[in-house]
Amino acid sequence: MAEKDGKLQRIVLTGNPVSDGAVVARAYIYEPWEPDVLPTCFEPEKKQEKLDAFRRAAKQAKAELTRLAENLGPDFGDQAKIFLAHRELLDDEELMSETELAITEAFWEPDAAVEKVFTSFTEMLSQVDDPLIAARAADLQDVKKRLQRIYQGREEQNLSKLENDVILVARDLMPSDTAGLDRRHVKGIITEAGGTNSHSAILARSFQIPAISGVVNAVRIIPQNTLLALDAVKGQAILRPRQEEIDACVRSQNILLSRRRAQAQYLGRPGATRDGISIDLGINIGSCKFEASENYYDFIGLFRTEFLYMEGLCLPTEEEQLTAYTKVLEQANGKAVTLRTLDIGGDKNLPYMDLPREDNPFLGNRALRLCLSRPDIFQTQLRAALRASHRGKLQLMFPMVGGMEDIYRAKACVRAAMEQLDAKGIPYNPHIRIGIMIEIPSIALMADLAAAEVDFASVGSNDLTQYVSAADRMNPAVGPYYQNYSPAMLRLLETVFSAFTAQDKPISVCGEMAGDPKAAVLLTGLGARKLSMNPASLAGVKAALARVSLKEAQDLARQCLGMRTQKEILEHLSAFTAEAEV
Amino acid sequence: MVTKKLEIINKTGLHARPASDFALTAKQYSSKVTICREGGLPVNAKSVVRLLTEGIGQGTIVEIAAEGEDEEDALKALCAMVESGFGE
Repeated sequence: MAEKDGKLQRIVLTGNPVSDGAVVARAYIYEPWEPDVLPTCFEPEKKQEKLDAFRRAAKQAKAELTRLAENLGPDFGDQAKIFLAHRELLDDEELMSETELAITEAFWEPDAAVEKVFTSFTEMLSQVDDPLIAARAADLQDVKKRLQRIYQGREEQNLSKLENDVILVARDLMPSDTAGLDRRHVKGIITEAGGTNSHSAILARSFQIPAISGVVNAVRIIPQNTLLALDAVKGQAILRPRQEEIDACVRSQNILLSRRRAQAQYLGRPGATRDGISIDLGINIGSCKFEASENYYDFIGLFRTEFLYMEGLCLPTEEEQLTAYTKVLEQANGKAVTLRTLDIGGDKNLPYMDLPREDNPFLGNRALRLCLSRPDIFQTQLRAALRASHRGKLQLMFPMVGGMEDIYRAKACVRAAMEQLDAKGIPYNPHIRIGIMIEIPSIALMADLAAAEVDFASVGSNDLTQYVSAADRMNPAVGPYYQNYSPAMLRLLETVFSAFTAQDKPISVCGEMAGDPKAAVLLTGLGARKLSMNPASLAGVKAALARVSLKEAQDLARQCLGMRTQKEILEHLSAFTAEAEV
Repeated sequence: MVTKKLEIINKTGLHARPASDFALTAKQYSSKVTICREGGLPVNAKSVVRLLTEGIGQGTIVEIAAEGEDEEDALKALCAMVESGFGE
């Protein structure tokens, strides 16, 4: 792939396009530091010198943590608390005095002393049988790394405050890395791991940052601060691009921006086909703060609640959850809010929960399954949701439902939570609507049975595709097998839509497909009348729907259903879109 | 030295925030302060990490001890915290 061009090599890297756009900027390599600490001792006469060096490092670590907390500002109070809790550990009498003793009495190198003492405390903490304590063990590890890094004289890499516009290059980005991502300066993202539906991909799309994933060895190949031309539409990044390639990138971005501007005219209009068949368009949100004017969407089709569990050091209390849910209901101002109960496991873990490692986490004890095995966690969430339920139009949705037993058990849990509230005389909406995610093929095949038992359902197309095609959506090596548009998917979707429609139960799609303009037209043709997506996708979907009639969409769906491969279907969709200017 | 035996009544026990509040309060006094669960060994109450490793849950009987110039005040303040259930 490399080719010689003058002194420095121009290299073309390819990856999967995950978020549209093109940009030229310098590379910022994000490589979280991993400690390299040798268990060595020093000469006894250096005792004072080493002790002073350790104390300097501890002081600097505290200053760094204070700065991090202050930089976050008032909007990120919960994240700031983490940094302050870490600072407190650096003031801990036992922890610090034991470390100092390991330096002055046993003559351990300070970073090795930190390793020894912090690790032994971590082990003691992890033996305590309490999930709240496990959280502190993770904090201890975090502080340990910070101390060692500072002692070894290394700078921290921080994605929340960047000096210049950059293209971020990383192996992978964890939700914690992206929590405080500097959106003003991150102009593009290149990752080695991650399929087109990984967290960083979804994040990039919602922030409209051009991004490609699955770029082999990107971190090793791209030197820090070199110029990159990233064309995420084509799925390529050029290291040290030629002038004409830079120009092409700028042109490509301008075309995209003007298309977005054209679509933006549709933003304020209701979602409907050209012949006026109304399609309810919802938004997916993942926190209580979301940016979407209430005129632009009809409902909140997916309110992910994991953020409450991920930003703290322990499980959120019922009151904390109630506050968050009420906030969303207030902002939704009477529109339906679909609260999805905790969806942890699979690719999403909680450091303080110490969930057992599983060989196949996507096929493991995740989401509803995990909640059913941890009634304490589930009941707290259900009580909080019920208590919020009469303050707006809240509906409950369970993720990872595989069979009717799951529905019966989840509904029994809701009844149990209601009884607990009744006993205390706490008000809630007893007629709260209960729905399920359709993302496991088994429940999709039994959609008629499920529809009889629930008030509504929503298709999670990302996971449904993963399970239908048996292709891990995080693994770029099986990317070609992960097919949203396979004939199998289309057949399954049609089954689900018709089963729910026949029983007059609302059915929506809330996966990434719903936000793709061409897919939105196809889904409408297959029978969907409700789609929920990233707020950033609303304009494009509205523009696409407004250009086709229901009959055209239905004809398109029928033609696609008669095809044999995803390739055929995608080509047909592209031809249709080009003709209809979708 | 002054000591007092009492029960941890708050739901989460001496974990997370309560442990941190407890240690912070203990640190305000110059006296040496320890906490000891029944049948266990006394540990430094000024260390959050040490408190956490003890895993003191709801219903545990503990003995708080203070020794030094301000031992009376220290013991009074810490017992009051425990008895109030850490404001939970």
